[in-house]
Amino acid sequence: MLDIQTHMDFVGQAKAERWSRLIITVFGVIGLIYGAVVQQFSQTVYVLGVGFLLSALITIPPWPIYRRNPMKWQKPVLTDQKTKDPKTKDQKTKTSDSSDEKEKKKKK
Amino acid sequence: MHTVLTRGNATVAYSLSVLACLTFCCFLSTVFLDYRTDANISTVRVLVKNVPDYGASREKHDLGFVTFDLETNLTSIFNWNVKQLFLYLTAEYQSPTNQLNQVVLWDKIILRGQNAVLDFKNMNTKYYFWDDGNGLKDNRNVSLYLSWNIIPNAGLLPSVQATGRHLFKFPAEYASNI
Repeated sequence: MLDIQTHMDFVGQAKAERWSRLIITVFGVIGLIYGAVVQQFSQTVYVLGVGFLLSALITIPPWPIYRRNPMKWQKPVLTDQKTKDPKTKDQKTKTSDSSDEKEKKKKK
Repeated sequence: MHTVLTRGNATVAYSLSVLACLTFCCFLSTVFLDYRTDANISTVRVLVKNVPDYGASREKHDLGFVTFDLETNLTSIFNWNVKQLFLYLTAEYQSPTNQLNQVVLWDKIILRGQNAVLDFKNMNTKYYFWDDGNGLKDNRNVSLYLSWNIIPNAGLLPSVQATGRHLFKFPAEYASNI
């Protein structure tokens, strides 16, 4: 299987939000000035639309640059065998349950 | 901001907020402008007839016939917050029965980009100049003036009156030919 990462770390999320706000605001201001110069409000809206598309392209997909500060997890604590046993039992019961359900479906 | 959907939602919401803000800026930039302009109006031919008003009471009422010249330049009114102008020509007079009569005789829509330098000669009115009685015959003080509604992208819908005003009087006799 391909290992495609789709998450952003916390620093990346903050960065993405800041960039998105910055790009849209800057394009809005540029659009307002341009629209005022050419006296066409539609031009202002189009420039803002370009800013929106650019911001969407840069900050919405989880690009790798937003994954540069991975979380430092605690090392897993080693557990003894007693705690592992019930899990395995649980799994067994689950499988038996699911097989039961399948049988019921077949009967239906 | 942890999934594609929340980031998309935030981007769209913020873009729309910015758009609303820009629209408000556009409104603010034009709200204090003075949209008044001069308009030259003059009447060419003025008649009054006494004919049955089948649209209302069927009684004989005064019906004015006016042709007019109109000359004005409205180019300066257009800006980025004006989509179109709705011009209308109003006749205003006082009659024995009413302190104030206002009749719209003619109107015109000018879209932004169209020619706003108007020079009309000998125009007929678009709408009937009915009085609701016999107040037009021998009326010495009828005034014609041009007004316009400004249809904006955002903001107020002001009604502006041109500074020019034309006074004329109706003849003392009804025109015989109907």
